[in-house]
Formats: sequence, structure tokens, C-alpha cells
Amino acid sequence: MTRYVTTIDLRRCVGCQTCTAACKGANATPPGIQWRRVLDIETGEFPDVRRTFLPMACMHCANPPCEEVCPTKATTKRADGLVAIDYDLCIGCANCVMACPYDARSIVHAAHFSYGDKPLPSEAMRFDPARVAVSMKCTFCVDRIDEAAVTGRIPGVHPEVTPACVNSCISGAMEFGDIEDPESNVSRLLAGTQHFRMHEELGTEPGVYYLWDQS
Amino acid sequence: MNKPIKKMPDLVSPRQQRNWDWRAAANFIAGGAGGGLLLFTALAGLDAFATRAAILLGLVLIASGLTCVWFEIGRPWRALNVYKHFATSWMTREAVVAVGVFGAGGLAFLTLAPSLVFLSGVLGLTFLYSQARILAANKGIPSWRHPASVPLMVATGLAEGAGFLVVVAAFGTSATSPWILAGLIVIVSVRAWIWKTYLAGLTVGGAPEGALRILNATGPRFVLVGHVLPALLVVAALAGMPARAALSVAAGLLVVAGGWVLKFILVRRAAFTQGLALRHLPVRGQGPAGPATKPGWKTIAGTNRV
Amino acid sequence: MQTAEPKSVKRIPTYCYNCVSGPDFMTVKVVDGVATEIEPNFAAENVHPAKGKVCVKAYGLVQKTYNPNRILAPMKRTNPKKGRDEDPGFVPISWDEALDTIAERLKATRARGVIDESGVPRLAASFGHGGTPAMYMGTFPAFLAAWGPIDFSFGSGQGVKCVHSEHLYGEFWHRAFTVAGDTTSSQYVISLGANVESSGGPCAVTRHADARIRGYKRVQVEPHLSVTGACSAEWVPIRPKTDPAFMFALLHVMLIEHNQDELDVPFLRDRTSSPYLVGPDGLYLRDAATRKPLIWDPARNIAVAFDTAGVVPALAGCFPVSGAISVNADDAVRDMGNVEGVTAFSKLVEHIGKYSPEWAAGICDVPAATIRRIANEYLEAASVGATTVIDGVTLPLRPVAVILGKSVNNGWGAYECCWARTMLAVLVGALENPGGTIGTTVRLNRPHDNRHKSVLAGEDGFMAQKFNPTDKANWVARPTGRNMHRTLVPIVGNTAWSQALGPTQLAWMFQREQPSPDMPKPTLPDVWFIYRTNPAISFWDTPTLVKTIATFPFTVAFAYTLDETNYMADLLLPEATDLESVQMIRVGGTKFMEQFWDHKGVALRQPAVAAQGDTRDFSWVSTQLASRMGLLTEYNDAINRGAAGVSPLKGANYDFSLDPTKEHSPETIWDAVCRASTTSLSEGRETHDLEWFKEHGFYTVPMSRLEWYLSPTMEKMGLRYELPYQERLLRVGRELGNRLHEHKMSWWDEQLSEYAALPEWHDVPGRWDAALVNAGAKVEDFPLWLLASKSMQYHAGGNVGIELMREVSQNIRGHSGVIINASTAARYGIAEGDRVEVRSHIGATYGAAVLAQGVRPDTLVILGQFDHWAQPFAKDLDMPSLNTIAPMSLELTDATGSGSDVVKVQLRKMEGRMEGVQA
Repeated sequence: MTRYVTTIDLRRCVGCQTCTAACKGANATPPGIQWRRVLDIETGEFPDVRRTFLPMACMHCANPPCEEVCPTKATTKRADGLVAIDYDLCIGCANCVMACPYDARSIVHAAHFSYGDKPLPSEAMRFDPARVAVSMKCTFCVDRIDEAAVTGRIPGVHPEVTPACVNSCISGAMEFGDIEDPESNVSRLLAGTQHFRMHEELGTEPGVYYLWDQS
Repeated sequence: MNKPIKKMPDLVSPRQQRNWDWRAAANFIAGGAGGGLLLFTALAGLDAFATRAAILLGLVLIASGLTCVWFEIGRPWRALNVYKHFATSWMTREAVVAVGVFGAGGLAFLTLAPSLVFLSGVLGLTFLYSQARILAANKGIPSWRHPASVPLMVATGLAEGAGFLVVVAAFGTSATSPWILAGLIVIVSVRAWIWKTYLAGLTVGGAPEGALRILNATGPRFVLVGHVLPALLVVAALAGMPARAALSVAAGLLVVAGGWVLKFILVRRAAFTQGLALRHLPVRGQGPAGPATKPGWKTIAGTNRV
Repeated sequence: MQTAEPKSVKRIPTYCYNCVSGPDFMTVKVVDGVATEIEPNFAAENVHPAKGKVCVKAYGLVQKTYNPNRILAPMKRTNPKKGRDEDPGFVPISWDEALDTIAERLKATRARGVIDESGVPRLAASFGHGGTPAMYMGTFPAFLAAWGPIDFSFGSGQGVKCVHSEHLYGEFWHRAFTVAGDTTSSQYVISLGANVESSGGPCAVTRHADARIRGYKRVQVEPHLSVTGACSAEWVPIRPKTDPAFMFALLHVMLIEHNQDELDVPFLRDRTSSPYLVGPDGLYLRDAATRKPLIWDPARNIAVAFDTAGVVPALAGCFPVSGAISVNADDAVRDMGNVEGVTAFSKLVEHIGKYSPEWAAGICDVPAATIRRIANEYLEAASVGATTVIDGVTLPLRPVAVILGKSVNNGWGAYECCWARTMLAVLVGALENPGGTIGTTVRLNRPHDNRHKSVLAGEDGFMAQKFNPTDKANWVARPTGRNMHRTLVPIVGNTAWSQALGPTQLAWMFQREQPSPDMPKPTLPDVWFIYRTNPAISFWDTPTLVKTIATFPFTVAFAYTLDETNYMADLLLPEATDLESVQMIRVGGTKFMEQFWDHKGVALRQPAVAAQGDTRDFSWVSTQLASRMGLLTEYNDAINRGAAGVSPLKGANYDFSLDPTKEHSPETIWDAVCRASTTSLSEGRETHDLEWFKEHGFYTVPMSRLEWYLSPTMEKMGLRYELPYQERLLRVGRELGNRLHEHKMSWWDEQLSEYAALPEWHDVPGRWDAALVNAGAKVEDFPLWLLASKSMQYHAGGNVGIELMREVSQNIRGHSGVIINASTAARYGIAEGDRVEVRSHIGATYGAAVLAQGVRPDTLVILGQFDHWAQPFAKDLDMPSLNTIAPMSLELTDATGSGSDVVKVQLRKMEGRMEGVQA
């Protein structure tokens, strides 16, 4: 069995949004739509204040509430742990958007581009009408994961088959890999650190682990 | 210099959901009432005209709700894909039940055969229940996923159905049965009690402050206008005050209006997203980790700190 | 993702050098000829400290290429009137017309002489951030070299937006144009206002993240909780501009509250001037015959010259010295007779005695216990006595550093901060040793790519310095540039970078107001070239600056889009930009910020896609200009000498020189540079051409980490750091004063007060209040401090017109307006998103309120530099800017010519709210 997960080391993250921008480039998302973003969270009162940067995206849950509610089976959970969307099945009912406790999904009802109605060449080339008016979210760069199955390369080890956000991260906060493989980078990292998953109490079994201290 | 800019929304705290607008709300508002009405029509034993009128009204309510949704979904021409996931999706189930409702309800309207009227009533209840479960299955909206939201949605659908029944009955050929009026009092009392339970449960179990603020502000008016006032009108009608029919109609409409306002608020205004939670703030090199945080929530349920 | 199956997908290796914290590697994904994505270059994973990755700014380069607001053909101005309210009426013209127009203008200028009647160059040029434009302007530097003298003094923020005093004093004391902690092994870092997580680039971000995992402690001392503060173990919200007091108190704890033997005594004794004896006149006691400073030999109980062999001098103490001399300003020699000589170290201890943590607490608004604890933690973490082995050499390991940010490091108080920071390193031997506080590059000295080679023996056992002369015979009384850097700022020297590091605001200020009637009349340049710079936004008092720019007679702007400066231009020349043109850059070695690598080499920037519209490669434009000017031979000679950067085309074992009489294509020129640089780097083992680089992107050779640290070199050369006592600066300041007063110039007297042997605390924040009073304003009307802070998304990127940056930056606090402490906001009745006015005594700027706890109640913060009114996209952002309301003020200019990026302001809620803001 394989289950791909992401680890995010909150000790490292600087909130720079390089992953946000890399994701937008890799997935050609329209302006205002971020399949992942890094949130800037302030806690405490002056002068005892902390700021924490929190990367958020689809958690690729083992028990995805979006998949449960989807009336069309457009959202599916794959054998390798990825939660995928078939844009050709989706009716854009937004039930999954409501079901996701991570605010990971969005629907854009009309095409729009960075500088108005006219797409840049880079946008025109990659504009996908199939993604209009249907549910979208982080795919863990599924094309790359699928390519790994063909080429034999290992996601999380070889950049060609690793999600763009993980590749781009300049603080080294993110790792990607198979949590079922005890020798994978993520398994080893999780073994040596303290971590949590968000909203675990909702029974979603998210596939994103936040690291916060050494073990 | 005074040109306004568009500021990105507050990303950190729970915020009102933006994907289901009034059209989606209309489905819960009208469809739930229609389902409730079908059920009570089956139970009320009205005369033929009133039964037909009630069934027709119930079907029209459900149909208009679904039509609104059809206009809301991104890909309306693929709407039939909605039938693909009966195993777990309450939206699929709602759509399946809707077919039954229209089939049985249509035939019942035409034939008034008691078995069909009864079946349409059962299916109306099923439709109402499916809708309640659609809402409750949304883990992203804490005020929906609370277990008490299902009885609340069912109760208000039933109350609205009862309210409509009273209205329809008032226009019927026979006087509205005191039992029906008494039933309305019972059912609004139940709705009020479930509402109180829901709100208490939500406050204790935890919900975004924004949602609680709106629901708490709604509560007294909802109870007064949707419950106390119609109950008083019904009591007055039962007590033999003049214009009994008018009093009944007013009571019924107030019960319906109260329920509809409640559902609009639930689906639109009090539907705050989950937001985020961190069980620990990270260690930044040295020193202790920071305490858990859950912006926009008073309690930090689900983390190991409160 | 890809919607249709592409015919061709390529990944083109290139670099990003939009800010000095680069260059960093990247690849451009090109699908059927269209650039679609920026990605890391993992081929560089093992040579680049950031593992082949670039920061968020680089991801905007795809939009930068295809931005519909780009200028895609040369344009000329049709409205002869210039001003903010004058539509320039730009119309497209051919390259021939544009180039001929410039060439004719330049020829006419040259005919009148390259120097004008006031003695300053007729041609001026301004380039943006930290020399980075040079890495995009191809061979234009060769054109400038061919021309002759050029005035670079019209700055675009130099001196006020950079760590200016560190550049000057850092390079003076330890060849550190930029100073960094050796983050690869540091254990304790005190960061005063430095914001490496925003402006340090991927190398710094990667290293500090690794350090956090390793468990280092960084204490961020800053009035607001910046991104760097967020990533630090502790935040100390200090009162603005009181950093010297804080650091003096740290020194106090270490010097007064600890035993001397807890410090690095051998380092102090052997590598610094600590044992030099100071006489009662505050000058070194010197040997009467050799003029060498004296030290005390405790073995023989006599004073001897500092370089006397076999002496282990006394570090502290007061000793009787007879027959010594002192040498004051203007070589005034004085026989000292029988006097007491006090070691410089003892002078330091005595000096610092008054600066206790209790004293500093009231000034800095930081508890004394906190200051004391930080000093103690720092001293303990320094692990004095520990060693490490690097490439077989045993060196001290001192894993502590103090780093300073903008506004701590420029303007009044910055000298004190730089000195105190360097002294904190010196006391524990952490200066230029592994783990410690190190310099990373030189710019005022040469060669730029190896600071060790810039260390030459000078007088008094110190490094040789190339100050501008202050002696009577050689002082440059008549300015050679419009900012008078040679006249006013001795320490800045006079190499290629010196002018742009002089007091660049003076060039602007003197255009409006002449401080002294007997100075030459201020003149405007006949021709002004501007590239990758927008001083009308990025400097101070921008409304006035715009008016000055509008008076320039002929401005040629290499222009990407219309902006607030080129709005006043006569010609706009659109160059093929980042992803469209060819150039080579040095990578690795030791460069700015935390760019110190285990490798050094070169990287190619190459066209990933065809140039958009009629934009042209900058090297082509440069060649054309040189040719049309009749300067082709001089231009090609300059390229052959290495003026295009990277490498001369002729070296000891190679010759790829270009025929100086011919026009060469950019490809031909850079092919020669590729060959020359690889041959030179590999010492003749390998030669790679342009085609090889187009495929491989970069070439590096390994480099020893020993090159990171200067102290071994200092030891090898028997030199001492010129610390703690600043006798040279004291003398130079006195000489400068003598010269200025001889010329009846007294308007620089306040600046002369900075020339102190041991810096004293003075009321630094009070200077801003005094300036208000002198401007006729009431201090109580401007109760708040406004600071500007950098943002990684925008820092030096020239990318305010890039939609992607706007979008992603909104995820980070402060990118929508003015950061205000929530309690302060409540006092003013201001809620999140309310439109507010921030007003100084010269003007106002407007934006949305961003409420926060992580900022002092007396401080407001604005990120970046905005308030655009001409630049497409940016002009619709409605963002405030400190620059709009910060005055250019002589009295707030320090002796190095820099100013602090802070203003005293008042705050007011405006009617209305920003659209779309939720309460």
C-alpha cells in the first residue's frame, strides 16, 4: 500500500508564499484562486506576541468528507491516498466546498485572467475550460505522481515527480512521500519530530502533518 | 486618492461561506417546507380540495427549491450526474427521493388514492430528512455539522409543513380541525425546544464566534415571532375568538416565516467556515512551543488545550 | 497541467538577480515557445546553498514577460512640458530614430566637454538596487566606461533604504560591505531590525531554517514583529532609534559585569588595537622616531612600538610613558613628555561604564533584566576558547553574531550601532571567525570577488584604507559629483561604487537649495540615463523629487512599463528583459548577504523565449550606442578588459578578445565571456562556450570555506582590526572640519560630531523632534513613529505591476495598508480596514488600517514602497508609502551621508472604509 502525504515543518516556514506562487504557476490557477496558501497568524497580546506561518491546502484526507458528499463521484480517493477530482463529472454543486473543513476547494464560475479579460500568452496556452464552474483544489500535482508510476521515479525524492510547492520551498519546510514506507523521507522525519494534523477530531485523517518540535 | 481597493478577505478566522447563495438556501427553505407539508397532508385527512391543494403546494415548493439549485450549480446541463453516488451522498439521495416525491405526489394529486397520498407523505418526510442530512454532512461548517442540526432542520420543515397545512385547511370547505391547530402548537413547541437544544449544544461544543453571535442575535426574535406569537394566535382561535380562519392563517404563516428566516440565517449568514487550528505553535530555534490557537473560536475543542 | 498535448517542452536554465541576496538558480519551463512556469534548477542542488531554488519574486517573471502594460517599442515624448500633471504624450518610434536621437545628443554633450562648468559630469546615470541592474544591462557598463566620467549621485534610495553605515564602517573595519552571521554554525544571534527572512534571499532563509532546527537562538530586537521576528525565539520591541543604547548596555554587561578572562583575550590583544596606549590628548602615544603606536610590555615594564617582536602586551592598564609623541589632524605632532598611557581597552571599559542596562532600559523601553540576560546568553554561547577545524586548519569557533537592519544601520545612531555590533564580536573573538560575525563582500575596495585580496598592510598595524583625502593639499574642495561624496565623506572613498554610496539625497537636495553660496552652482546633467530604478517612488519626499526630475533636460529611460520617473523621460527604450536576453554573472564565492558558498563560478542568463514586441537585448542597444557615438573601439576595449562583468577576455593563459573595431552581436560577446570565464575559473583546464552554457546554465569550481573568514588572513599578514579605538576617524574628522571651515562651510558641523574615538550615546530619537521644531512644527502634533519594512514579495523586485505578487502578498500581514497597534487604533477610533491618513510635517499618505498586536503602540509600519500614480496596475493599489512623507533633511543626515528610514507622524481616521473589508 502507498499513501502519499506532505509534512510541513512550522519551525522552518517563513510565510514567503513561494509555494503559493509556484503552485499558481504549476497549476495555472486563475487570479484569486490559490490551491495552497500560507496564512499569517498572530496570537497573544503586545508585547507577548507570536506570528506563525501556516501553509494550508487540500489535506488529501484518508476519510475525505468532500468525497463522501460528492453526488457525482467526481471526487474520488485514490489507492495512493490522493483525493482527485474528475472535472468532467463535477456539476459544480459546491457540496464538497462546504464539506471540506480546510477551506481547500473553490469554484470559479467564469474565466478571468491576471490583467483583465484577455489572457496572457502563458494563460491562453493553459486555459482549461473544463475547470470553469467546477470544484478545484490542490491535486498534489497528480500529473507528476502519475508520471512516477510510469518512470519509476520516487515522489518526494525526484523533483520531476514531486509537487511544485514542495520543490519550490526555500526554507525546506516541506517534504512529500509515502507514509506507508518506513524508509521514506516523510516517515523518517515524522519519527524524529512532534507533529499534529489539523482538525483530526473531525475524523478526516488528513494527509498533511505539521511538525512543531523535535521528539 | 480616494479610489477604493479590494482587500483580500480575512483568511485566518472562520468566515461566512460564499458558495451557497440564496438559491441554495431557497432549496432548503422551500423544499423542507414542501416535504413537511406532504407529510402532514397525508396525516391530516383533509377534504379532497384541500388535500389536492396541499399536495400541489408541497410539490411546487419542492420543485421551486430544486429549480433554484439548478440555477446555482456550475454545470446545470450535467445535473443528472447527481445520481451517481447513492452510497454516501445525501445530495444523491435527496435527488432520488425527489423523483419518488414527484411520482407519488403527482399520482396522489390526480387520484387522491390514500395509499399514494400516504406514500407521498412518507417520501416528503424522507426528502426533508435528506436535506437535513445534506447540511449536517458538511464538516466544513461547524453550525451545520452539529448533530442537533438534523432534528432542527426536520423540526422546522415539519413546523412549516404544519403551518402551510393550517393555511390550506383554512381555505378548505370544512373548518380547520382543532386537532390540527393543537398539533401546530405542539410542533412549534417541539421546534422551539430543539432550537434551544441546538443553540446550547453549539455553544458548549464550540462554533465560530461569528456564527454564535448571529444565531444568538436571531434566537429571541425567532422564538417570539415563529413560536410564541403563532401559539397565542392559535390559542385565541381555539378559544373562540372571532375570525378564527384568519387567526389560523396568520399563525400558520408566522410559523412558516419563522422557519424560513431561520433557514436563511442558518444556510447563509451563520454558516461560518471551520477556520484553522494549531495544536501547538512551533518552536522557533529555542524556547517553548506556543499554546494552541483556534482563531475565531472561544473554545479550542479538538486540540489538546482549552 | 496542460490542456493540449504540447509539441515542445523545454526547461531553460537561468538565474534571478532581482535583489542583492541572489543570484539564485532557476529554470524556465517553455511550452511551444511560451514561458509558462518558473521552477528551481535542481542541477544546482549541490553547489547552491539554497539548493537551486529561487524566492517568490522570480515566480512573477512569467507575468513580467507577458505583462500587457509593457512598453514594447521605443517611445518619444511629444509634450515638451514635464510634470506629474503633464501627459508625456509618448509615441512609438523606430530604434534607429531613438538611437540616433541619443547619439546626436551625446555627441553634442561630448563636444561641450564631459565635465560641465561646475566641474561635474554632464552625463548622469542612475541604477536601482545594489548593483543588480548591472546584471540585466548586458554590456552597457562597457559603454559607460567608454564614455568617461559619469555622475552616479542621483540616488534612488541609496543611503536611506540600505544598510548604509554598515557598508562604510563594515568595509573599513573588516572588509565587510555587508555583514552576516555565519549562520551555518551560529548558536546565538542578536538581530536588530535585520529582516533576513524577508530580504536575505533563499540562501539566508534556508540557512536560518536549518539553524532553527539545529536549535540556535535568535533574538529579534525591533519595534514591530517582522517576518524575521516571527521566526525568532524572542522578540524585544525596542523603542525606535534607541538601538545604540541597547547595544552599549550589552557591551557594559560583558565588560563591567564579567571578568576580563571570560572574553577572548588573545584575540583582543593580538588582532585588535586594544593594547595601544592612548595619551591624555585622546590620541595614540607613538614612538617619536617611527611614529608607530606604543604598547606596554609588562615583561620589561616599558612602552614599545606595537610591532616589536616577542612582546605580549598588556591589554588593560595605565602606564607611565615618556618621550612619546602624538599625531593629530593635519599631521600636528606633539611631544608628550611624561604622561600616563592608558590602553585602548581600558579606555573602552571606562567609556562603557556609564551605559548600564538600567540606564538603557529607560531609553530603549526594554527591561534591564532582559538586556542583561541577552548579554549573558550571548557571552555564554560565544564559547570563548572553542575551536573547529576547517580544511585542516584549526580556527576559533565563536557561534554568535549580531546583525543589523536598515534604519538601525543608517542615519544618526548608525555609527554607534555599527561600532557596538563589531565590538560585540570583537570582545569574544567572533569577528571574522567561524560561527561569528563575518563580512561577505567588498565594494569600496577591490577586487570585488575576493575580499582577502583587498587586505593590504597599512599604517599603524592596520589594513590600508582608501579614504578620500582630508589633508590640505589633496582635499577635493570642488565637488566632482553632485552629491560631494569626495568632499564630505572621507570613508566612502572614490572607487566605482563610492559615488552611489555618498550622500545620494544631497544630489537631489542641492538642486533645490544650495547650502553654501561659495560652492559651485548646482547643475543638471545634460543627459540622464535611468534603468531599473524609480526614484520618484523609492526615495524620500517624492512629491518634491518628481518636480526636480521634471526639470532634467534630457532623460533616457530604459523602460519596462511607464512609471513615475520615466513619466518625465524624453525617450523610453524597451529592453528585452529577464527571460529574453543574454548575460553572464558570477555566482558563489562570497557575495552580498548570506551568499557565501562552498563553490564559485558563473551562470548564464539566456533568452528562454523570444523578446516581446520590438524590445532589444541591452547589449545590442549598448553596441549600437557606442557605434553611433563613434566610441566602438573604446567600448570593445572596455569589454575586453572585463567591463561587462565576470571576466576579462584576455588572461595569463587565454585570449578571447574581441576585434575592437567591429560591432559584435550579444551572442558573440557573451560567447567570449563564457570561454574566458571558464578558462579562468578552471585555471586553463576547461573552456566552455555559449552553447554549452545554454544547455548547462552554470559552471562552478569548489572553494574552501576558509575564504569566508578574514581573521586567518589578518593573522597571516600580522594585521590588527582597527577596534575598539577610532583614532583614525577622530583625526580624519578633525581634518575634514578644518578643511570645511577654511572654506567657510559650517553646515556640515553637526555631522562632524560623529567622528569620535569611542562613540557616545546622544539623544538619537530626539533629533527627529528637533527637526520638527526647526521646521516650525510642534513635536506633540506628531507623536508616532512611522517605519518602513521590507517584504520578500516586493523587495527590490521592481514588480509592483505584477499581478501575481499583489495576489500572493495579500496573504501576509501589512500588504494592504498601515500596520497599527490595536490599542493605539482603538484610541484613535480606528477599526480594521478603516481608511487612515498618516501625516508628517511635509505631507500625508493614505491607506487601510491593519490592526496588530505585534507592533509597538507608538509605532506605525508600512511595508514596501508604493503610492504609485503612473505605473499601470500599481497605481490602482491605493497603498500608502513612507517615502511620500519622509523629508530629505540635512539635519537628519549623518556623517556618512545616510538617513534613517523613519518619520514622526500623526494618525487620523478618514471617512469611509476600504471596499471589501470585513470588520
